[in-house]
Amino acid sequence: VTQFLQAGFDGLALGSQYALIVLGFVVVYRATGIINFAQGGALILGAYMTYNVSNTWGWNFYLAVFISAVVVATFSVLLQRVMIQRIFRETTGVLLGLLVWASFVYNGSSHLVGVLIGVVGGVGAWWVAARVEARIGARGPSELPVFGAIMVTIGVLFVVKQVVAAIWGFGELSVDDPWEISTSRVGDVILGHAKIATIVLAMIGLALFFVIDRYTRIGIAMRATHFDHEAAIAQGISTKLVFATAFGLAGVVAALAGTSAAAGSDLINPNMDLIVFLAFPAMILGGFDSPGGAVVGGVTVGLFQNLVKTYVVNPPSWFPVEDMDWLGAGFERVAIFVMMVVVLMVRPYGFFGTEEVRRV
Amino acid sequence: MSAVLRTLWGRSNERMIVEYHDDLRLFPTRARRAWLVFLVLAWIFLPAVWDRAPFTILSDNGVSLNTLAYAGVFAIASIGLNLLTGYTGQVSLGHSVFLAVGAYFTAYAGSTWDMPMWQWLILAPAVGWVVGALVGPFALRLRGNYLVVVTLGLVFIGEHIFRNWKSVTGGSTGTSAAAVPMELGPFDVRSLEIFGRQFDEDRAFFWLIWLVVGIVAWLVKNVVRSRAGRALQAVRDRDMAAEIIGIDVGILGYKTQAFAWSAAIAALAGALYAPLQLFIGPGDFGLLVSILFIAMIILGGMGTIYGSVIGALIITAMPRLIEGYSDSGIPIVGRLWGGGLPGVAAKTSDDGLITVSSLNVVIYGLLIALFLLVEPRGLAGIWVRIRNYFSTWPFSY
Repeated sequence: VTQFLQAGFDGLALGSQYALIVLGFVVVYRATGIINFAQGGALILGAYMTYNVSNTWGWNFYLAVFISAVVVATFSVLLQRVMIQRIFRETTGVLLGLLVWASFVYNGSSHLVGVLIGVVGGVGAWWVAARVEARIGARGPSELPVFGAIMVTIGVLFVVKQVVAAIWGFGELSVDDPWEISTSRVGDVILGHAKIATIVLAMIGLALFFVIDRYTRIGIAMRATHFDHEAAIAQGISTKLVFATAFGLAGVVAALAGTSAAAGSDLINPNMDLIVFLAFPAMILGGFDSPGGAVVGGVTVGLFQNLVKTYVVNPPSWFPVEDMDWLGAGFERVAIFVMMVVVLMVRPYGFFGTEEVRRV
Repeated sequence: MSAVLRTLWGRSNERMIVEYHDDLRLFPTRARRAWLVFLVLAWIFLPAVWDRAPFTILSDNGVSLNTLAYAGVFAIASIGLNLLTGYTGQVSLGHSVFLAVGAYFTAYAGSTWDMPMWQWLILAPAVGWVVGALVGPFALRLRGNYLVVVTLGLVFIGEHIFRNWKSVTGGSTGTSAAAVPMELGPFDVRSLEIFGRQFDEDRAFFWLIWLVVGIVAWLVKNVVRSRAGRALQAVRDRDMAAEIIGIDVGILGYKTQAFAWSAAIAALAGALYAPLQLFIGPGDFGLLVSILFIAMIILGGMGTIYGSVIGALIITAMPRLIEGYSDSGIPIVGRLWGGGLPGVAAKTSDDGLITVSSLNVVIYGLLIALFLLVEPRGLAGIWVRIRNYFSTWPFSY
């Protein structure tokens, strides 16, 4: 029983992490209909920003989380505006800003100086481009087809990973968080404080999201846009604002998820986006467009993964196969994908997702 | 002889199609037949001249014949992926797994059972076909985003199997394919001898692999312009409408078949990849490889055969060129900042903003994003626009 409870608790912590990540996917999917793989990049960025502010600059941890959330949200909104909606002036601004930043860093200045001058350069380029666009007549934003948008976000994920590695290196880093490796005991179950914090963090994030989704104007606008894009525009809803908000929220959630993945005894490295891929089964289980499904799916998958992990090593007495070493190390990660495939065969739109009506 | 000449030098103008037979020809105009002859000549003679004057720009900077052989392998695989993604509209992030199936099969069958080359060249695609046919039915129930996620899961499941089925795959360390028999009829690829002349392994592999590229391209081209190909494209454009006009998309229908054949072609590429690479491990078949295949067909042009080949050539050669130039410096312009690529560390010990391997990944990502944003039809689309511009000149259409 102790073993079961321990696996259950760890699974719950893992599941809340998954739930946070999936929530980021769901928010974007509901507004725009694409899977935003760049969420993995946002997560890495969030973890490293938290590290940078709290370790390198030595600021308060909670302040670091807040700053990281703001930065990642900005990144996410910019990504949406530049890559998905293809706004000419913003593309120019961002590219020039990046270029200036890179050239300053290359010439030996610190990142901060590079970023500051890059931002100034980017805003300048944006201003010039806006004037040019006004003169020659703006080309309206044309959106990419779904497959194209997915591939663009995958491309962005790869770029972000490498840029993060170029700045902070490939090595493993430990974030100074207030929990470290401290634990409490309830009976024989060991409760890591960082894991409790993760669960609480996930709860706060989810609650915040549900409040926004249910009760604020923008939340209602988001749901309306998801329901019928054109009708929403006809009602005077700014879909631009809705998309930007969706990506911004996804960025905040990604920063929280990244921080929780970095907290406690865990270390961060540029390959930590693996956890985003592992969250896909959770997303499938809940359905792409259901925030409630994200929570249920995340927790279910987290529990399932940890139970499999525990019982593959130490199977219960009633189980017919005693030795399961042949399944190999890390089988629990594959098990959740197998579960995903089974679920998809039974319910192609997850347990809470909206079934797509196909018309000719 | 005169028949051959007439075939090559027949009709001159492509606009004058008078018979149905003219419409069926793969190379309808004189220019295209000349292009075919040029390609065959290039295939024969390129290995001989690759280290001479005009080609040294490439061959001195990392793009050796060996690189071209790799490009050929990837060209085969990306033709397969194009059949599935470009023509049938089913996105697959799992093609590295099909490549791996072919590669591991060849390495195991060749080393353990001493299977002759002509047998594994046939059986490896057959095994890939079966695996693809097992995955294919999932595409019947899932569409768009869901299919992307399932094929992504395939990569993870595949990698786990490759790491743990140690008796066949050698586990995480990988397995050797050096002992795979490479004799095809009178030719031995490992030590090729034609008319008493010895040729080294790189050249033999170049000829073998690009021959296979040609055959696969020819087969797939003929498939996509036949009844089956039109059915696939109808499925891509709107699968429900396709079903209604009587195209079979059932469990043995065109979607499953497209998956199976695409996987078979990828497995064929894998079968050639193993002996070329000599040693294969699970690290060679990760998600990045799948993404590379997608980058190839996006860059070259989705829904074209030659686009896949061009994309494979560019995506394979580019990292070697970057590596080569960051070592030796760009000619002429490089003097401005004194050799190398600015901000790029050729070795891990060097100073620089970013390492070569990281830079390559960044460029792949940017290329995918840029082409999708600016020219979604790829280089092939650019070429078609240039051609149309000149063929209708001086009018705009």
